[in-house]
Amino acid sequence: MSAREAMIKRMKDLPSTHLLGTGTPMCAGCGGLEALHEVYDVLGENSVFVNAAGCMTLLSVYPFTPFRGSWLYTAMASAPAGAQGVRDALDILLEKKRVTKAEDLEVAVLTGDGAAYGMGLSATSGAIERNLDFLYLCYDNEGYGNTGQQYSGATPHAAKTATSGGPRGFAGYKKDLFAIWVAHKPAYVATVVGAEPLDLARKIEKAKQLTGPRLIIALAPCPPGWGYDPKDSVDIGRLAVRTGVWPLKEYVDGKVVHTKIPHPRRPVEEYLSKQGRFAHLFAPKRNEALLAQLQAKVDAYWAQVSE
Amino acid sequence: MYRIRFHGRGGQGMKTASRMLGSAFFAEGFEVQDAPRYGAERRGAPIFAYVRADRAPINERGIIRQPDLVIVADDSLVAVPAAGVLGGMTSDTVLLINSHESPDTWRHRLNAQSTILVLPEPFEPEDHAELPYAGAACAGAAAQLLGVIPWASMEQALRHELAELAPAVIETNVTRARTAFERMEPHRGCVREGRAVSAADYVPPNWVEVPFEAARISAPAIHAPATSVEVKTGLWRTLRPVIDYDRCSRCWWVCSSFCPDSAINVDAAGRPEIDYDHCKGCMICVAQCPPHAIETIPEHDAQAAEGGKE
Amino acid sequence: MSRQLLTGNGAAAWGARLARVDYVPAFPITPQTEIIETLAAWLETDTMDGRLVTLESEHSMITAAGAAAATGVRVFTATSSQGLLYAMEMIYTVAGWRAPFVMINVSRGLAAPITLESDHNDIMAARDAGCLQIHCATCQEVLDSTLMAYRIAEDERIRLPVIVNMDGFYLSFTREPVELPTVEEANGFLPPFDAENVVFRASAPTSQAVAVLGGSPYSYFRYEHHLAVLKGNEVYDEVAAEFAERFGRRHEAVEAYRSEDAELLFVMTGSFATKAREAVDRLRDSGVGIGLLRPRLLRPFPETRLRELLAGKQAVAVIDQNLSMGKGGVMHAELASALYGQPDMPPILASFVGGLGGRNISAEEFFEIAKVLQTAVAEGKTPPPRLLYTRDELREMRKLQAVAQVEREELGGGR
Repeated sequence: MSAREAMIKRMKDLPSTHLLGTGTPMCAGCGGLEALHEVYDVLGENSVFVNAAGCMTLLSVYPFTPFRGSWLYTAMASAPAGAQGVRDALDILLEKKRVTKAEDLEVAVLTGDGAAYGMGLSATSGAIERNLDFLYLCYDNEGYGNTGQQYSGATPHAAKTATSGGPRGFAGYKKDLFAIWVAHKPAYVATVVGAEPLDLARKIEKAKQLTGPRLIIALAPCPPGWGYDPKDSVDIGRLAVRTGVWPLKEYVDGKVVHTKIPHPRRPVEEYLSKQGRFAHLFAPKRNEALLAQLQAKVDAYWAQVSE
Repeated sequence: MYRIRFHGRGGQGMKTASRMLGSAFFAEGFEVQDAPRYGAERRGAPIFAYVRADRAPINERGIIRQPDLVIVADDSLVAVPAAGVLGGMTSDTVLLINSHESPDTWRHRLNAQSTILVLPEPFEPEDHAELPYAGAACAGAAAQLLGVIPWASMEQALRHELAELAPAVIETNVTRARTAFERMEPHRGCVREGRAVSAADYVPPNWVEVPFEAARISAPAIHAPATSVEVKTGLWRTLRPVIDYDRCSRCWWVCSSFCPDSAINVDAAGRPEIDYDHCKGCMICVAQCPPHAIETIPEHDAQAAEGGKE
Repeated sequence: MSRQLLTGNGAAAWGARLARVDYVPAFPITPQTEIIETLAAWLETDTMDGRLVTLESEHSMITAAGAAAATGVRVFTATSSQGLLYAMEMIYTVAGWRAPFVMINVSRGLAAPITLESDHNDIMAARDAGCLQIHCATCQEVLDSTLMAYRIAEDERIRLPVIVNMDGFYLSFTREPVELPTVEEANGFLPPFDAENVVFRASAPTSQAVAVLGGSPYSYFRYEHHLAVLKGNEVYDEVAAEFAERFGRRHEAVEAYRSEDAELLFVMTGSFATKAREAVDRLRDSGVGIGLLRPRLLRPFPETRLRELLAGKQAVAVIDQNLSMGKGGVMHAELASALYGQPDMPPILASFVGGLGGRNISAEEFFEIAKVLQTAVAEGKTPPPRLLYTRDELREMRKLQAVAQVEREELGGGR
């Protein structure tokens, strides 16, 4: 643990002033924005966010931007390639001494799960294999949120979305993007959630100290997409961790370490029952089989963790 | 042609209201256009939807600039310029507001020549983020004010548009719409069809030769930090979090850390302050405040109290 | 200046080298690959001072090109055909960033059916993207146009990507004598890139390529982009004049060959235009008053110049090496729109489509096209569009179809 990372022990150690500007068009209670503003506080304004199409594309709508640093919107599929271009250009400018070190920026990719798990996956894979020195932040709200929450490669099993409205919800299973990224052996991979700001801040601080590809998936509770009152955003994020649905972990130096093992682990039902997208599991009749299956899946994950 | 605009907030069902009215017109043999207007606005943000209806095919398209009837589901929007409620209104326009306050109060407040009516039974739950039956009531009232839609067609349209909801919810909607329809009886047919723009006498568009400007000026780029603070997202708020400083423990700024919008600032002494220009009213701070020192107050009450102070 | 034999691809690589490009995002595709291989070899041996990165797709390649240009370095890239189409979303996108760079497109026919040989449907697909386009007829032009393209792209009035187009095989793999400027000569012509305020720096936070809401701001940005491309006419002429002064080679926006006293004209772009040039000489030998107009600049479309050159002429044959299915040759339609309703324009504007997928256009076909124009003038009537294809070709096609066991009874004439 680095010194700076070790300094983040309590909420008190988090920054008290926030860098990300107010006045964004993100929904009230947006879990993605919560994670982004926590990340930005640690990452700092000497950064350029290279964005892929998604909810957060609307963060910068002419002439308004919440960023104190820089921003570049690309397209849905190729934000990591945009980061490549910016990073390479900055390196060239530094090498050729056309700019000073003080002008350098941390290059960060910002995408939703639609881009990260799907259309942008090959661009991400390419950037990792080229050992691009960048930070990748995926705000994962488990669906194509900006278009009204259709299912994506990140949608969990059984969740109701605009394109999986049947009695069993989404038939597929959430893709394990963490494992896909880890398989590339990048410098750093971590899962975070805005509801656990200390864990998040430590991880971003750690990522900041490393070079190479550093990839972060932030679970982004989404009031309209997941069907809950905005005020519950933090509680739902916290429940995702405490029920074991969203394991907080990191990959560094070739090892995966869980940074917060829920103990005792709360029943998955506590997480599911608070969200409209899982309401069909509870009414008009409890779907015991499906609930048991979802619990078993989480149990199996944690069984393998403790082995 | 009838031109009708519905104003509300994202989540208040204005699209549904416009569709109910559109379907009712259609059932009466009218040619119809109905459409919501989406921007980047989210839940709570001002939005509108509109309906055009005519006996002849409709060639006009897009936003209604000169409405014959304007319906406002959330009266806190009337005075908000960004909501555009009053845009294009003339003395011929009828304005219907879902409000506790009287038409006279509104007429005085707006200094307007238009016919102003209020829904006789305003629907004002504590949280205006959702006004569950306001859409149906607005559509029902509109049908009566237009005078060309009998109740039977309105009811049929309502049931058609709400078909996917639970039966009890549909019945409540029907009842609310019917009540509004009946109470508007005295004003039956007060909305008159607007006229088409005249080609013989019009204001020319004042075209300009677009000046060539170099890319350093004309690229879609912003050369300043954090300009978004100029966007007052506080307008979205239907509930207001209010800090009770006697109970606030000057903790480790939990509220500020969790606020997704960076809308709670903490000073050097650890005192949090909510930036109401930008707080969207998500109420995460209320839910997370360790000593429960943040209260929830309906925004319209808070604004009324502030207005009273003036 | 030295004269040596270079392929079109070699000339493009030399163009990039003499332009002292900083950054080359790359992706291999036939027939362009030799360009990036050449550059990679120079960069690896420090013959050139820059960086080449192979991306995982052309879509990413153009994203990286635009992003690096938006950060303030000089960028060169190259693609072809399917690669250009795969990148197309980003070709449109990065142009809107107002990030200047130069891309070579080595023209190649589009799938399906997939082919390796040349025609212009790929580059025509990028016509409306908001990049400038220079179309080359010789390897010398490829080199010269690359240097000129940087001057134009980086001009503060333009600040847009410029695509330099050459034909696959006919130029890309064909060696011709090419005059190579010295480094000093190239440097004298092309100063270092000044990115002005469109960069990413810690001291100057900038949000680039942001979204807009509403048609009015959107229209402003698109109109300005259009006006900047149009400005390319003026800037091109300035740059071409300076280039001619320094290097003695004049590359007009529209090459006019024996057109002044011509009554009939061929209009075509690219390397096949030299075939047309040859045909003009032969036709002149036999007394036909014909000439050639070859637009080098396709975007902006040099309308004013074309009108001047075509004023008072009797008939024009536009020979398109591309095909917009359901409409016809693209440049024919473009020229028609430029001429229609203008005073003194040729009454006959005939369309010929040929040279698809590298198919030859023979001297005899050019002669025949001239004859069609003469007949049209005599009859006062524009002939229907002609798809160049011979009975012999159809007969050969029948043989292929027989092997492919296409139902014989379905086959029509030509046997």
